[in-house]
Amino acid sequence: MSEYSNRSRAGADYEWHYEYYEDEEPVSFEGLRANRYSIVIGFWVGLAVFVIFMFFVLTLLTKTGAPHPEMCDASMKPHVLIGCELEVGGSLALSLPPLPDQSRSLFHFYIHKEERVKTHKDALIGRGMHCGRGNAERADEDEHFMSSFNIPNFVNSEQSSSLGHDDFLLSEPPIITDGQSDELKTAEPAHLCYDIIRH
Amino acid sequence: MNPSAESPSSIHTDCAEVQVPGQVFLVIAVASLSENLLVIVAVIKNKNLHSPMYCFICNLAVFNTISSFSKALENILLLFKDAGRLNSRGPFELKIDDIMDSLLCMCFLGSIFSILAIAVDRYISIFHALRYHMLMTMRRVLIILFTIWVLCGTSGALMVGFFEAATVKIFFIVLFFTALLLILLLYVHMFLLARHHANRIASMPGAQAQHRKSGLRGALTLTILIGVFVACWAPFSLHLLIMMICPENPYCECYRSLFQLHVVLLVSHAVIDPAIYAFRSVELRNTYKKMLLSSASRICKRCA
Repeated sequence: MSEYSNRSRAGADYEWHYEYYEDEEPVSFEGLRANRYSIVIGFWVGLAVFVIFMFFVLTLLTKTGAPHPEMCDASMKPHVLIGCELEVGGSLALSLPPLPDQSRSLFHFYIHKEERVKTHKDALIGRGMHCGRGNAERADEDEHFMSSFNIPNFVNSEQSSSLGHDDFLLSEPPIITDGQSDELKTAEPAHLCYDIIRH
Repeated sequence: MNPSAESPSSIHTDCAEVQVPGQVFLVIAVASLSENLLVIVAVIKNKNLHSPMYCFICNLAVFNTISSFSKALENILLLFKDAGRLNSRGPFELKIDDIMDSLLCMCFLGSIFSILAIAVDRYISIFHALRYHMLMTMRRVLIILFTIWVLCGTSGALMVGFFEAATVKIFFIVLFFTALLLILLLYVHMFLLARHHANRIASMPGAQAQHRKSGLRGALTLTILIGVFVACWAPFSLHLLIMMICPENPYCECYRSLFQLHVVLLVSHAVIDPAIYAFRSVELRNTYKKMLLSSASRICKRCA
């Protein structure tokens, strides 16, 4: 009896708390045929192979040239935005459907340019500034071209190719402010026209 | 409750859990916090950066900031616990632990959704360029951001609350793979278009052969973007998968012993993100230059 009462009093001294076990039974490491870390090694090797394979596929695409992906939208037909030196090529990046007649006349371009300047004045000014630059800067043209989307917000506000050698499409062109756009608008259209006609 | 039977597996397991010191987490968290705060400040200060693209980049930076802040806090509290000042099983500490875990979960989910949103935004800006401004109005962007926050907040709380259920792990794994697939598809399609037009430029008279160099650089950028995403998120996702599939296999046990390393990778993604997304923008870099110059001139004025 006294033992029992001792034990019941001792029961008050117990402290109950949770024990967190990862596994109830131990994991046996007997008789492993391969290395213990084979899943880890296999995972990282597979990841490296995937990344390197992807890189090689992408560089192969740059060397051979990718097939033309269908990206023209019928609803975009009325709007034609053309970068100057790409005019000859036909439908341009970022969008736009080919010109209605495929003649690619420069005069045609000039006519459309005015309309575009009104509707997308900032973007066109950006394009015009590309054209306005000399041949020395054409090396960076295509990279900048890739990144200067026809988005009125994103316009190249700097005369020189400030992107340097940033990548296509994953860097943003500088954004033109409203104050600058007016001066540029007056300066550029004639320059743009002249440059196209020269080619 | 015999304390000596506390972890029977540790006696038999050859793959002891790899411990990463708390200082490593703290350093990574502080670095990520400062970088992402810089991005947020730059986007807020410069009015030119109040556009949909930069809203999404700033949103990613906010999620990374919160995650690195809560990770840093967790590590500080662990330091306190090691010093004996905190009771690791007290109700208050457990509640704090749950809150921090749910914040971390929310931020991890939020980062994935933000990265997806950035990819979709770039895709729309290229392939639907003329309608971009009608599709991506600031109001829609705010609605999207609000939805992302609500979704991630509730998911984070639910995931931590019901972590034992397999649905939580399956949800995370499925989300990771879906995000990876979408990102691959979107970016590769954008890359193909850019290459196509670069080739057209190259075929014109007067064009120089610089486009090959830009092509390689484009491929490298894309590889880095996708490679970093996979390298940071896949180990943790595989860990969750292995926890569900083979809890008792010794090979799986050895993979799971690297858990802390996988969490380091996850947290280091928040450090690398600004370098991949935000700092590539010239406008953002110019904002930093201006901020630096103005603060330097202010210091010079005080000195002079």
